[in-house]
Amino acid sequence: MVSYAGMTAPGRYFEDIQLGEEYESPGRTVTETDIVLFAGLSGDYNVLHTDAEFMKQSIFGERIAHGLLGLAVQAGLFTRATQAYATLAFVGLRWKFKGPIKIGDTIRLRARVVAKKETTKPDRGLITLERKVLNQRGEVVQEGETDLMVERRVG
Amino acid sequence: MSAELTYFEDVAVGEELATPAITLTEAHVNLYRGLAGEPVEDPGAVPELLPLCLSTGLGWRVPRPPLAVTAFLSVEWDFLQPLRAGDTIYGASRAAMRRPLREGGIIIEDHEVVDQRGVVVQRGRFTFLVAKRPAADTPQKGAVSP
Repeated sequence: MVSYAGMTAPGRYFEDIQLGEEYESPGRTVTETDIVLFAGLSGDYNVLHTDAEFMKQSIFGERIAHGLLGLAVQAGLFTRATQAYATLAFVGLRWKFKGPIKIGDTIRLRARVVAKKETTKPDRGLITLERKVLNQRGEVVQEGETDLMVERRVG
Repeated sequence: MSAELTYFEDVAVGEELATPAITLTEAHVNLYRGLAGEPVEDPGAVPELLPLCLSTGLGWRVPRPPLAVTAFLSVEWDFLQPLRAGDTIYGASRAAMRRPLREGGIIIEDHEVVDQRGVVVQRGRFTFLVAKRPAADTPQKGAVSP
């Protein structure tokens, strides 16, 4: 669906990905710059992310990252956690924001293959990953599941 | 807080909002990929999470003050159709549920991302913790006027 003509990535096929496989990404420190850029890109200027003075009075004590920024960063970390899948499309997401990501926090992704489903189309299958985003103290700040449509070797 | 916000009490279940549209460009794709830390293989292919990320910001550009979100609790989302740079999307939302808590309340919104052909390309649900109207906003007994 989203594959680019002539750029079939040498990714791992549906058959190669084993149930229970686990990956852990390197860490990434979330900076003020990331939050400012994300506010500009998304247009989400909620005070939670943009007003340092207001946030001094809040339970967080300072600005926090947009939840969706954490989601985007973990998607990038996934590409550094394991060899690429032969992904055709990202089809579904069930996600919880459990705790704040503050400026200077270092997050990493832990992911595990929890389901493999064949589909009606013989050239693809659905892989469900359970993902946890952990901060430098090992606290889970985000977690959920993602469904990826992955190419099969025999199409 | 001085700026007007939409508080928990102001939200009615069934209320529908449509945002202005935004044309997705290669600049959006490159900015997003750089921020997420994903390789840019095809700058014309819109990353699936990008429209989801834009839908919260688009939600600010409706004829209603921004929702007084104190925490984004969860998102469930289906990515139905791929998008390319040059496609134009808007967001449509509906308040699906509200549940009062001691501090604020829970608001669940159903969201759709619709393209220039009217096709729903992404769809899902946001759950927010939303602040109640602060007591300072209502006249208080014994309050001194400035």
